[in-house]
Amino acid sequence: MSEHLSYVGKRMPKPDLAGKVTGEAKYTEDLVIPGMLEGRILRSPHAHALIKSIDISKAKALPGVVCVLTHKDCPEQKFSRSTMAEALPEFAFSGERQDQYILSEKARYVGDWIAAVAAEDIYAAERALELIEVEYEVLPAVLDPFSAMAKDAPKVHDDVKANVAFEMDHPFNTGDVDKAFAEADAVAEFSGVNSRQKHLHLETDAAIAYFEADSRLVIVSPSQGPHLAKKHLTRRVFTDLDDGDIRWISPTIGGGFGARLALGVEPVAVLLARASKRPVRVTSTREEDFSGYSSRTDQHQTIRVAATKDGKLLAVEQKIVSDAGAYLSHSATTSIVNMQKTLGLLRCDNIRGHLTVAYTNTPTTSGFRGYGNPEGAFVFQQALDRLAEKIGMDPMEFRLRNLKQVGDPSCFVPSVLEHTKLEECIRLGAERFGWSQKWTGWGEKREGRYRRGVGMSILTHASGAGGFLLEHSSAVMKVLSDGTLNLIVSPCEMGQGILGALAQVGAESSGLRYEQVRVTTGDTDVTMFDIGSHASRSMLVIGNAVAAAGAKVKDQIKALAVAKFELRQVSATAEQIDVREGRVFLTDNPKIGFDVREIAYDAIYNFGAEGGQIVATGSYLSTSHHPNHQAAFAEVEVDTETGQVTVARYVVAHDIGRAINPLLVEAQLEGSAVQGIGFALTEDFVIDPVSGEVLSDSLLTYRLPTTMDVPDMDNLLVEDPLPAGPYGAKGVGEAGLVNPAPSIANAVYDAVGIRIHSLPMSADKVLWALRHGDQAAKGSSRVSGQHL
Amino acid sequence: MARQIGSFKINGRVREAIIEPQMLLVDVIREKIGLTGTKRACASGNCGACTVLVEGLPVCSCLTLAITAQNKDIRTVEGLRAADGELHPLQQAFIDHCASQCGFCTAGMLMSATALLEANPRPTRDDVNRGLSGNVCRCTGYVKIVDAVLDAAQKIVAAREVTA
Repeated sequence: MSEHLSYVGKRMPKPDLAGKVTGEAKYTEDLVIPGMLEGRILRSPHAHALIKSIDISKAKALPGVVCVLTHKDCPEQKFSRSTMAEALPEFAFSGERQDQYILSEKARYVGDWIAAVAAEDIYAAERALELIEVEYEVLPAVLDPFSAMAKDAPKVHDDVKANVAFEMDHPFNTGDVDKAFAEADAVAEFSGVNSRQKHLHLETDAAIAYFEADSRLVIVSPSQGPHLAKKHLTRRVFTDLDDGDIRWISPTIGGGFGARLALGVEPVAVLLARASKRPVRVTSTREEDFSGYSSRTDQHQTIRVAATKDGKLLAVEQKIVSDAGAYLSHSATTSIVNMQKTLGLLRCDNIRGHLTVAYTNTPTTSGFRGYGNPEGAFVFQQALDRLAEKIGMDPMEFRLRNLKQVGDPSCFVPSVLEHTKLEECIRLGAERFGWSQKWTGWGEKREGRYRRGVGMSILTHASGAGGFLLEHSSAVMKVLSDGTLNLIVSPCEMGQGILGALAQVGAESSGLRYEQVRVTTGDTDVTMFDIGSHASRSMLVIGNAVAAAGAKVKDQIKALAVAKFELRQVSATAEQIDVREGRVFLTDNPKIGFDVREIAYDAIYNFGAEGGQIVATGSYLSTSHHPNHQAAFAEVEVDTETGQVTVARYVVAHDIGRAINPLLVEAQLEGSAVQGIGFALTEDFVIDPVSGEVLSDSLLTYRLPTTMDVPDMDNLLVEDPLPAGPYGAKGVGEAGLVNPAPSIANAVYDAVGIRIHSLPMSADKVLWALRHGDQAAKGSSRVSGQHL
Repeated sequence: MARQIGSFKINGRVREAIIEPQMLLVDVIREKIGLTGTKRACASGNCGACTVLVEGLPVCSCLTLAITAQNKDIRTVEGLRAADGELHPLQQAFIDHCASQCGFCTAGMLMSATALLEANPRPTRDDVNRGLSGNVCRCTGYVKIVDAVLDAAQKIVAAREVTA
């Protein structure tokens, strides 16, 4: 059958935008429940302190204050902000340490949650926080992972030895790494650390908890995975409740990027609602989001690589020391994923990786778009360039000689790589960028104040974590009397456009009209189980579930059409009928047909018929991670008088399988590239090394890219359908954030011959290195001892 | 700090609300008037999400005391549509170009862009970049936003030429 596609592959407008451009879309803080109280959280001013006593009497006496809660009012079980324990097999639990209470019994970072207030209005709630009197006994704090693991360091958690929260060798350690390094023609090393990039979703953390009929608990919050969050909350926190006792609604979400994968203020909202027997909305300020909510985990790394002189990669060794902050959340798992992606990107027979995650008295870190991959790529892709330089090879050629091919072991779970177009991505991107003209060889000296340079980077990333996480999802479709398709699916629309892409798959597979797809999502009472929107998984996993449901709807329409054709004195079997764009027709004579609404209407409103609305479900279980790939090329200009780095040109080629909607794919690539440029150059999360306070706690001090920072970009798609993907699609959401930092770093080296070892590569660091030389920079890698 | 009845002319209609002198315009618009399209994201004037037009000029409603905006002509995102419900060319262009993702910055972007196009109906790409540089978007990477504004500018100018 030749492939006819009505909607897949087309640049359709995404359905959530109508509400977003008119202001009609409702986010958590836009909702008002009658009788709702305002909840606020008191946060610790100390990085590490025992709580000797808390006097809440003055706060409670304030008119308008309904309840004031402390650690004593919390459930006794510990839990993790990460909900992933519920989606992992038992053996992987150690990276999901359940290590905190809703309100702390001891302050472990500046911003740790100490008490919570619910009051009739926000002004009374704010005033009540000021009236809570806490007596602290300040303890010595540990503010970086190396001093945290030093002998006799203060303990962040009493039951954790040497503050080591998690430690592992990479499970795919293989070969004889020491021998390979000893025998190699060239060895290179790079050490570096990423900053704690903030998600900076513009909607600050908020949650509403209230009770509906039968005292059933409803939670409204911008969760990226409400089903899993609900299970986690009932299993680990409020253990008197079970899965059916909570309805979780995730409304329009003002940005996620991984932050909303972990629990935010939801447990506090539930605690206050249960205590006050009133609806409660808990909100937070931008400053509180900076200090108390999650960020990317800073991973200190050393990567050593070895090769033969003709460019065969012989060995890779990666050591990571990650700073979890005060609680573990996603910091161990992002570091594990870093190892998988970094050590699994290229063909290599000798691999060794080791990871240590330490607790410190700093804010909790978590998962952020890319989930360990950008952290690893920043260091690994520079180590590869250093190695290419040592053997005098074009860095692109060096990478091309070591790419994995179909049939090689994959980068994630021990599975085989079934599909890759990374080589095509590199060649296509290089051609568009003009790599062969722009890259002029190693060690070329440039002159003048403004110096240009080029660099590149490649990556592999997952489309879901099949075989490791609970990667199954289901979709429900019902057809209304006017031919409208009501598509009920689980992913959370954080802006990534997944609802639009799924609507296209739904319309394509069912034969109904895209313009008449109405997507319902976000309500756990309505949608089927799904582990949420992350790991670039929704397109592949949920997309396949939607396609399966659509095929069933189409079959039902065809079966019902047989009788309709008979009424028109046309004899046809269901096999001879097709449905496309809302029209039913004969396959061999498409002119004979009618609008699908005739069937849809009769299925519901025909008194004489058997009854039975058209409805179908589709399910899908993914058993692989189906990697997507990407190559990126950057051209930068370095101002040698100020240290300012400007990205002039950025070209990306992405192995997408098939773009269900190229407009949405471009939007994902552009947005993630600019986030990556911020990660590379300006976004600096600064913690006071003495007090532990977050100093970059506003958009004035933490610099996001603006319209003035966007380079001339090209985003190219390499389309070769993935057999397992819905219409061939792979994921794309996260990958774009991985390549900017390493490709820009490699370009800076090409321009001025220095490498910056910590992100961001801000003007002051570049200027310092230009003046003093990067080898002479103060300090050295805490992991390997190599100079930073 | 006396409570008083404030009078606001929002999107062409006069609305009254009980206000206190310390209240911010963004809170009055959202909580008292109920127009929640305007967003509060940083409450310090650094992100532009709360941008509304006061007497045609873009202001951060999170930095504006509500009492100072009384009886002035205020426009919010809800006032962009034509009376018959037709979308403003900027709104339509944002949909066509996928210039909004999570949507939290969108109202502020649209209001800044409205002010920009009213002052400069034929902007260059650089004009738009500069005009929107005070509005932060974390999702889109700005490319499609600037594309949309340039597209809308062309359409507005073309429509004016037809009527002229």
